[in-house]
Amino acid sequence: MQHPAFEEVTVHHHVQDDAAFRKKVRKTTILLSIITVIELGIGLTIYTIHKGANPNATLVLMFKGMVCILSLAKAFYIVSVFMHLGDEIRNMIMTIVVPLMLFIWFIIAFITDGNSYKNLRNKYDPHFKESTMPKKHQQKDKKETTPVEKSGKE
Amino acid sequence: MSEAMNVYPEVTTSHAVHHDEHHVHHHKETFITKYIFSQDHKTIGKQFLITGIIWAIIGGLFSVLFRLQLGYPDQTFPILETFFGKWARGGQIQPEFYYALITIHGTVLVFFVLTAGLSGTFANILIPLQIGARDMASPFLNMLSYWFFFMASVVMFSSLFITTGPASGGWTVYPPLSALGQALEGSKLGMDLWLISMALFVVSSLLGGLNYISTILNMRTKGMSMTRMPLTIWAMFFTAVLGVLSFPVLLSGAILLLFDRNLGTSFYLSDIVVNGEILPNEGGSAILFQHLFWFLGHPEVYIILLPAMGMVSEILSVNSRKPIFGYMAMLGSLFAICILAFLVWAHHMFVTGLNPFLGSIFVLLTLLIAVPSAIKVFNWLTTLWRGNIRFTPATLFAIGFVSLFISGGLTGIFLGNSTIDIHLHDTMFVVAHFHIVMGVASMFGMFAGVYHWFPKMFGRYLNSTLGYIHFWVTMVGAYLIFWPMHYQGLAGMPRRYLDKSSWVSFTQFGELDKMITIVSIIVFAVQLMFVFNFFYSIFKGRKVTTTNPWGANTLEWTTPIRPGHGNWEGEIPEVHRWAYDYGKDGREFIPQTEPIGENESKH
Amino acid sequence: MSTQTTVHQTKWWSGGKSPFNLEYGKLMMWYFLMSDAFTFGAFLISYGSIRFSQNFWPDPNVVFNAFPGAGHANLPLAFVSIMTFILIISSVTMVLAVHAGHKEDKKGVIKWLAWTIVGGLAFLGCQAWEWHHLITGEHAVLATAADGKQYIDIIGQTMGGNPWGQLADHNTAMVALNNSSHETLLHLVRESGIKDNGQLAGLSHEKLVGMVQLEHLHIREKGPIAFGGYFYGITGFHGFHVFSGVIINIIMLLMSQKGVFERRGHYLMIEKAGLYWHFVDLVWVFVFLCFYLI
Repeated sequence: MQHPAFEEVTVHHHVQDDAAFRKKVRKTTILLSIITVIELGIGLTIYTIHKGANPNATLVLMFKGMVCILSLAKAFYIVSVFMHLGDEIRNMIMTIVVPLMLFIWFIIAFITDGNSYKNLRNKYDPHFKESTMPKKHQQKDKKETTPVEKSGKE
Repeated sequence: MSEAMNVYPEVTTSHAVHHDEHHVHHHKETFITKYIFSQDHKTIGKQFLITGIIWAIIGGLFSVLFRLQLGYPDQTFPILETFFGKWARGGQIQPEFYYALITIHGTVLVFFVLTAGLSGTFANILIPLQIGARDMASPFLNMLSYWFFFMASVVMFSSLFITTGPASGGWTVYPPLSALGQALEGSKLGMDLWLISMALFVVSSLLGGLNYISTILNMRTKGMSMTRMPLTIWAMFFTAVLGVLSFPVLLSGAILLLFDRNLGTSFYLSDIVVNGEILPNEGGSAILFQHLFWFLGHPEVYIILLPAMGMVSEILSVNSRKPIFGYMAMLGSLFAICILAFLVWAHHMFVTGLNPFLGSIFVLLTLLIAVPSAIKVFNWLTTLWRGNIRFTPATLFAIGFVSLFISGGLTGIFLGNSTIDIHLHDTMFVVAHFHIVMGVASMFGMFAGVYHWFPKMFGRYLNSTLGYIHFWVTMVGAYLIFWPMHYQGLAGMPRRYLDKSSWVSFTQFGELDKMITIVSIIVFAVQLMFVFNFFYSIFKGRKVTTTNPWGANTLEWTTPIRPGHGNWEGEIPEVHRWAYDYGKDGREFIPQTEPIGENESKH
Repeated sequence: MSTQTTVHQTKWWSGGKSPFNLEYGKLMMWYFLMSDAFTFGAFLISYGSIRFSQNFWPDPNVVFNAFPGAGHANLPLAFVSIMTFILIISSVTMVLAVHAGHKEDKKGVIKWLAWTIVGGLAFLGCQAWEWHHLITGEHAVLATAADGKQYIDIIGQTMGGNPWGQLADHNTAMVALNNSSHETLLHLVRESGIKDNGQLAGLSHEKLVGMVQLEHLHIREKGPIAFGGYFYGITGFHGFHVFSGVIINIIMLLMSQKGVFERRGHYLMIEKAGLYWHFVDLVWVFVFLCFYLI
């Protein structure tokens, strides 16, 4: 059967069963809300850790990683349920998901280079280092020299 | 339903009917709807082509002007002052003018000519015709795509005439130079206009690209499976994918640059002193802009190159009367190039202060591109091998493309190595490399496409004699211009410098530079001859008398000689085979529309 | 590659139909959104890159702790969580509008679209308040004069200045306090909770310094300038998307009301508008993550 409006669409989307649909939407809404609440909880936890006398950097990083994963989960539910991508043909899903993989290298490269820029400036711009380095961590970070910078001297 | 049909016939009925109806009443079109605000993909393609040609003349003329400066730095040309006034005071090109010239030359040729003029033209003309569609998926957005390009052109063109001159920080518009009006005349209003023009251009290319992708996916005629498509269409498809995913990143970079220029933000600016004035901007990173720019910039190279590759594949196969060698390998290498294009952007930034370890990964990824590129080159050569070659101007330009792609591609391997790049970066070697592999090679692909599909576009042939002259002068000229630049670059001669005569070590190149300048003037003149040929042939060229003048298999040659809006008069033909059944079973060519015979051999 | 093998491939790709069983408009919308995801991605990744190039970055909980009508109460993340929920709920109402469209239920479409528009406008209102609060907020920061002396300045969060640097230590702040202008001191005294009935202006510099309760004021150094640029730039760009989404939804509402889709026999336009609206919500997930949570 042809779709009334578009010749290229060959299979008619059947209207979903109303009750099942509502149930699915309700479930997703509750799930998104719960994830958001957990995220907020983690955000406040990070705040409390930061307020403490000696913030544990690893712990903060771990919590931040958790929030990232939770956000990805949220994104997954929005895209697959609300945007109905989950109901599309598999190939269609792939054409959306695969190009997004480019973000992996996009993020890694940009972040690495940002970090490297910081290290370079800390090494060659004492004013930058002195004026921006958090006071508590200054001692610790002084020891850090990346191998790259060392080789630059030789 | 019947009532609905009366109100919105084009929506409630199927596509085939919809376009046929259009076909009928398009005969009553006015001049404006037929030639100006046309929604016919063929007319839009021609609009892109002609706008591209106009920009190519402007961009080419600019290169002649700055070549005059480079070849004859001490000489005065009073006529320049007549035309350009204060920009060429005393008949000598002033530094600001020189930088404006090279900036606009680069911008115009990369974006307006080789992106819009090349893929805008041929994607528009070829996609519906070769996949068997009445028009693009959305003819209206397709029209908008051209008019956004037109607006971008108007803004860019107007920037040439303002008092402070157009953008002059190089076509890559690196901040801080491009962000600070007090640093450079061209970074005043001209730079804002450049950014606005580029934003409009991004919209145009986005509208076009989305249309190309959804047309190729959705509108193929019956039997036209993806692997039966001509390589031109695959190339256009990947070009569109590249554009859709990379241009938005340039848009982001441009928006941030606009903010830095006009709103006092510090995305790219930090620790800057201009003329003794300390700027308040702090904490930005100039390298960030280069990352954003080249995240587009590198795919952009392939946006320029892939359509040429696709058309060359098609033209070589048709004119050597042989199937394309390694169709699937060609397709796979297009795909590989498309992916790798996104992963290698920072090889343009090896010496900017990029993390050297990160740089080494970019070296590896960059060198990987050599693999699919080599596959393509070998496949083109094997397609030609023992072919029954017809040396039409289009074939010659296609072969010229392969030659240039090899020459330019090899120097790319030099530059892709970060260590060698320390010596070669920002020298004439780079100029030689990318002009050969990206600039001239893609121009050759474009010329090949114009010579080959001109009969389809205008129902007449281009003059072949002028075509042969055009090819040989351009081919020899391109090598004479760019080959010596490699030596200059290896000797350390920097690019973008106004006057190198104060370096004793470069005085040996004085005569060479004069030669390059003279050749570039000759080559430019020959391009004008091509433009004459183009416009003359539209009206006075030899008429096409058969629907399939080249004996080609693809669908565009099953349409009438001058197809109307809707392309096919009756039903759209069904496709039964791939596009490359040449010289098979003793037959010269078998069109795609011919059903498979009972005793037909496999290929 | 060969004509023979293609026959065996899935029928979806054989031409004459959409391989994804989608009309071109929806396909274009999806790929447009992917393209737009790269625009936002580029912004957010640039933000990440700049953040990683700094030694210090403000804790979002310190910056975003205000709530309309709550005065100076420290309520980190409270307001933004409301904004987030507004967007999630408006996404849900959009889903229901699209579903009503599937059923060709005109009244349902109009009802749920109207709620979505309300949600969008509420979000924009929240954002306007938040921006206004940040820009006009008055925060005491350490500043350095041309002669190298430090004094206290009162600034808001703008594109060119960021009041959320590190906490200044007590001694530095005390010295800076002594170098500060009379107006600044008056402001700080009022901030310390002392009622001003016009009597303060006449007091001497030393008196005022003595009245400032430094430990309550949290005097900070200036923070990284890029923070403001990125915050306003990216949330502004997102807000622009919300705004255009609201406009699109209003157009859809009017078209439904006039029965345009009814006559067409399908509500596919609503689906496309829905995709756009959900994308706006999707982007917010990551804006929320990058600016407010980590």
